[in-house]
Amino acid sequence: MSNPTRRTFLVTAAAGLAGTALPQTDNLPVAFRKLRPMTDGIQPIIVAERAGRLEKARKLMRENRINAVVMESGSSAFYFTGSRAAGAVLLFSQGDPVPVAASGGIAKALKDGGVSTGRVGVEERVRFEMVDAIGKDLPALEFTSADPVTAGCRMTKSPAELALMQRANDITIACYRAAFASLREGMTQHEISAYIGAGYKLLGVEGDAMVSFGMYTAFPHGSIQPQKLREGDFVLIDDGCRVEGYQSDITRTVIFGKPTQRQRDVWELERKAQNAALAAARPGATCESVDTAARKVITDAGFGPGYKLPGLPHRTGHGIGLDGHEWPYLVRGNKRRMEPGMCFSDEPMIAIYGEFGVRLEDCMYITEDGARTFTKQSPAIDQPFG
Amino acid sequence: MPQANSEPTFAGRIERLREAMKEFGLQAVVIEPGPAMQYLTGVRWGRSERTFALVVPLKGVLGFVLPGFEEMRAKELIHSGAEIRVWQEDESPYQLVAQMLKDRGVTAGRVGIDPSVRFFIYDGVKKLAPGLTYVSAQQVLKSAGVDTSSPAARR
Repeated sequence: MSNPTRRTFLVTAAAGLAGTALPQTDNLPVAFRKLRPMTDGIQPIIVAERAGRLEKARKLMRENRINAVVMESGSSAFYFTGSRAAGAVLLFSQGDPVPVAASGGIAKALKDGGVSTGRVGVEERVRFEMVDAIGKDLPALEFTSADPVTAGCRMTKSPAELALMQRANDITIACYRAAFASLREGMTQHEISAYIGAGYKLLGVEGDAMVSFGMYTAFPHGSIQPQKLREGDFVLIDDGCRVEGYQSDITRTVIFGKPTQRQRDVWELERKAQNAALAAARPGATCESVDTAARKVITDAGFGPGYKLPGLPHRTGHGIGLDGHEWPYLVRGNKRRMEPGMCFSDEPMIAIYGEFGVRLEDCMYITEDGARTFTKQSPAIDQPFG
Repeated sequence: MPQANSEPTFAGRIERLREAMKEFGLQAVVIEPGPAMQYLTGVRWGRSERTFALVVPLKGVLGFVLPGFEEMRAKELIHSGAEIRVWQEDESPYQLVAQMLKDRGVTAGRVGIDPSVRFFIYDGVKKLAPGLTYVSAQQVLKSAGVDTSSPAARR
């Protein structure tokens, strides 16, 4: 369930609690010290592919009667321009993207582009102050969501994008292998989190991890409570890294020591739920049907129903690409049909507050024949990697 | 960890914001996670696609709208006696924000939007509460001394 801002919070918190910055290489567990860059042969997105994206965006703008699109620096702007420079980027129905350095210049740039009336699509993360300022200068404009254009392009991934995501997934597995090999009784969740951050650097990328132990594994996004690893705890590690901006997002829940029967049963159930979502995902399936498939497994075992605890408190998954969470979402009510090239996390979790939680998360991409995972699913409660 | 900002401090900051709201004619202010939320309530939260909003009404109790499955984690951070309303994954958070405004008597007039609120949240609320006038809360926050950048606003 990656989420860059949450990651930042947890890593900062880790540094604060440990009273230290990221560990030096010398202080890393041996499994981490062996990590080497896995960045050879990475192929960034080429100019021709970006041109194709712009062509598609302009087509979607026409179809949705959107005269211009306003984006701030961020994933969508990067997707179309390859740049993360500060400021704004405008798309028009013709011509190249127009960068605008100062936010005060957007209204003028729109006017210069011939758009002072009609509908302007606003990228979802654009801040209110920007929209407010444009509206003051050009009161005849109507602001609408740019999602039909931005999400419309970004939702389906090209082979080049899938290759970058594959690499990000492979790197995350390498880092997690080192992490699970390094678990020792008494460690704090922040220590492991910091090791993983350092491990990603050794692997040649940036990435983060959320780590929870024991009863805190029930918290989908972790807890601020200090935790020390003890025999019999579940260890949950989540999040991922970025390769050319493309994100991985993997969760493993593994027993430290000997599992109880209860832990085994819930882990097996979680794995079945994850399988059910994977089996349901294919071209033409609605996004909500995949959530329903996973949730049914969990509900049939007596958990829930719905989002009720103990059970599956959140959606089964999210789209993933340049953002760790993006459209489309595997959630009840989402009737969108899956298409080849779409990428999703598959992560129904089972949360039992006061006991533990289990989440297994692998990302999948849709092909003509069905869904395939970027990574091998965890085969057993004590085996995180297939 | 030392807690530099105690709850009376937050109450005082909210009070000061309300005085400024009165002066600027704002019935409520809507805030997303970030320095302003942290300064006013001490709540430090990462932004994501899931709406997590603070409503500061001119009159009535503060309200948070947040994802249902985050309630436990959020309650570790929210100590201010604020009302918490949760939305489930297939429900509309904007509906809850609109209802929260209505329940506090905000059915007409001006609502300040934290300048850093993202478009999808503003757009979602506006569609469900079209009778309100949405203006930037930048000046009112500034006037109330809401520090939106300084590390002093952090715990």
